[in-house]
Amino acid sequence: MASPEPDVAQELEWIKAAQQGDGGAFGFLVERYQRRIFSLVHHLVRQREDVEDLAQEIFIKTFRSLRSYNFQASFITWLSRVAVNHCYDYLRRLRASPVTYYSQMGEEGQRNLEAHAESPEEGGLDQAERTALQDLVGKLLDRAPANDRLILTLKELEGYSVEEISDLLNLKTSTVKVRLHRARKRILEDLQELRAGRR
Amino acid sequence: MRCEDVREQVDELWAGEAPGEVRLHLASCPACAEYLRDVRLVRTGFRLLTGDPAPEPSLGFAARLVRRLSESSEQDAREVFFEYVGRRFVYATLAVVMFLVLALVVPSTGPLRAAATPDLLMAEQEAATVRPDPVGSYWQESSASAPADIPQPADQEQKGRK
Repeated sequence: MASPEPDVAQELEWIKAAQQGDGGAFGFLVERYQRRIFSLVHHLVRQREDVEDLAQEIFIKTFRSLRSYNFQASFITWLSRVAVNHCYDYLRRLRASPVTYYSQMGEEGQRNLEAHAESPEEGGLDQAERTALQDLVGKLLDRAPANDRLILTLKELEGYSVEEISDLLNLKTSTVKVRLHRARKRILEDLQELRAGRR
Repeated sequence: MRCEDVREQVDELWAGEAPGEVRLHLASCPACAEYLRDVRLVRTGFRLLTGDPAPEPSLGFAARLVRRLSESSEQDAREVFFEYVGRRFVYATLAVVMFLVLALVVPSTGPLRAAATPDLLMAEQEAATVRPDPVGSYWQESSASAPADIPQPADQEQKGRK
């Protein structure tokens, strides 16, 4: 089995070269992490047409600030911090679009959706219900404050643990837990308001 | 247990772990039962969103990015160079202009030009009255004690006339 060490050593060489302005070395880092960053940006901003532009801005910002990287955290953690901060600024400027598919379902349709969603297996949902539920939760995320959206995305969509999120956002784990707790409460309150407003 | 207490247990409900007293309350409270359904709905929605694939980087994304970085760094270097040279050129030009201005303006009134002729003559006369010719006084004082073989200027003139 191949040892991971040569990969890490090679990455260190690329980073050191890129810190001296070697764009080619930075290109290798981009190729290694571009999919991770695309996924993170996609989950955070949920605007497919903006993902590539934002990813490019993130990598450019990373290259220009690479001299400040001191090798204390892993490179991907440091790069993810740059991405999260950049997307956070972008999210604050966004306006949420209205919920569509879920709103177009009748009350009975929504009840069926809720009943099927309770099933531990998502196989209980048909394609229309899946689309509606994705639309609903996606729009709830869009409507959420940027801080809530950030922490819910990192926890629920990116699968980061509380400790990893605290490292990424440079927060205490207790702070992350409190913010996650509040974000979940608020998104559920928003769902109730959405439902009450429709009725 | 109150309904607000159930809301505070949202993290446990989210993880699918409802404590005993919460379950008891849920069995008898329709509002909280609906709240639990909402928790499951939203949690399932997140799971579905996780499966939503992100767009792939377009072909040549990394290469285009590196090219853009290289172009912008060349542009930055040119800008730095022109700023460096340009600033010094401006300072040098200002210094030359100031010098020319002083050279044109100062002569009639400034202290840099040579003093006027009457001033010079006055200065020479003052110097003559304060300090008599040191060469003449020396020879007058010392002619009596001077060695015989050293011709005195006055003796030489008399010999010349003869």
